Amino acid sequence: MTSTDEELVARSIRGDADSFNELILRWERPIYALAYRTIGREEDARDVCQETFLRAFRALPGFRGQAKFSSWLYRIALNLCRDWMRRERRTPVVQASEDVDLMDLAVAAEPSESIEDLVARKDLARIVAKAMARLPEEQRTAIVLKEYHGLTFQEIADLVGCPLSTVKTRLYQGLTVLRRELGHNGQRP
Amino acid sequence: MIDTCEYSGNRDEALIAHVYDDIDPVERARFDAHLAACARCRDEVRALTGVRNQLAQWEPDLIVAGRQLSAAGPPSSAASPLRQSWWREIPAWAQVAAALLFLGVSAGIANLDVRYDRDGLSVRTGWSARAQPAAIVPAASPAQTAAPWRADLTALEQQLKTELRTRQASATTVAAADRQTSSRTASAGEADLVRHVRALLDESERRQQRELALRVAEVLRDVSTQRQADLVKIDRSLGAVQNNLGVEVMKQRQSLNLLYRASQRQ
Repeated sequence: MTSTDEELVARSIRGDADSFNELILRWERPIYALAYRTIGREEDARDVCQETFLRAFRALPGFRGQAKFSSWLYRIALNLCRDWMRRERRTPVVQASEDVDLMDLAVAAEPSESIEDLVARKDLARIVAKAMARLPEEQRTAIVLKEYHGLTFQEIADLVGCPLSTVKTRLYQGLTVLRRELGHNGQRP
Repeated sequence: MIDTCEYSGNRDEALIAHVYDDIDPVERARFDAHLAACARCRDEVRALTGVRNQLAQWEPDLIVAGRQLSAAGPPSSAASPLRQSWWREIPAWAQVAAALLFLGVSAGIANLDVRYDRDGLSVRTGWSARAQPAAIVPAASPAQTAAPWRADLTALEQQLKTELRTRQASATTVAAADRQTSSRTASAGEADLVRHVRALLDESERRQQRELALRVAEVLRDVSTQRQADLVKIDRSLGAVQNNLGVEVMKQRQSLNLLYRASQRQ
């Protein structure tokens, strides 16, 4: 039977290294994806991901379970991303190669998808990533957490520490800007 | 021309809540009723839903430390079934290309040993086997032989447990010791913790690499089986074509003979 995060956290606090390893396996991908979409650099996202788990491990004895473990982990990762952006004093960079690697495309192909569709999809992904990178940090974070991590408005509000209505406003403004940006790139929403 | 919206509540918030389907029933009913009458809001809902569909395309496969990670959401919520089995469903030629590429790289970085001989295909992630042939001794248990990394992981785990216990015990002792000694011990313990968590993370990465290697081996086996089946089909089809061709040739020959005889008579 699969243990819940809370059970694994409790066992980790008691010194069970396997349980913490299980938590890493469970949350490594979402945390990496969050960092990558927020920062836009693979290498830095990897560092943020690793640092998130290091901090979580150090702070684990102080984790009282007021929030979900995942929310706590997301908050650590988001703070690290914010620190990174302030330290580097730059907006996220989109790592998107202009030339198309056919091998990558082939591996990324969904079943029954033609190579033309695949190229178009990759192209759109690159345009979306660029448009996301241009959004203000608060709007981008709200969209990433809602769109790619499925958090509720309330969870996002708790996580970033702002009122519920602000989260909705940031999402509305962000999506509206994206609609305009994507329209300029010839993409019809 | 776009109509004026006369929604009485906070339009933007209601709109975004509707687009994300994260809205309480009372407000949903109210906004649905409004949508039925407001073309402007309907257009905007459609447009923002379109933007969301486009955002869904930003699903890059990310290479981290030599392994592929999907940028999916949390394990319980956003991971789609398609993405979970992407490597099973991509075209066979792409699977073969990806598998060969992966095996080549992995063999270089992870001592991966792939063999295809009389016994069939075998894949080994021999971290110790290649450098130390003596490591493969009959005394090793089957489980250890099958997964030599388990011993390392168990040892690491034991060591970490011991150190965590020591740390807990030392925490009480340290309180009584003098301040200088305590700060030195704490910083050393901190460094140890960092090192061990890094080791855990590395082990987690290696484990995923091994899982991927096994899956690639499965893909190769499936492709090989499919290839054999295809070859048999092609063979049968060729036989059928040859038969048909033979019959056609015979008919042609008979026609030519008839024509020849007819021309002889004339």
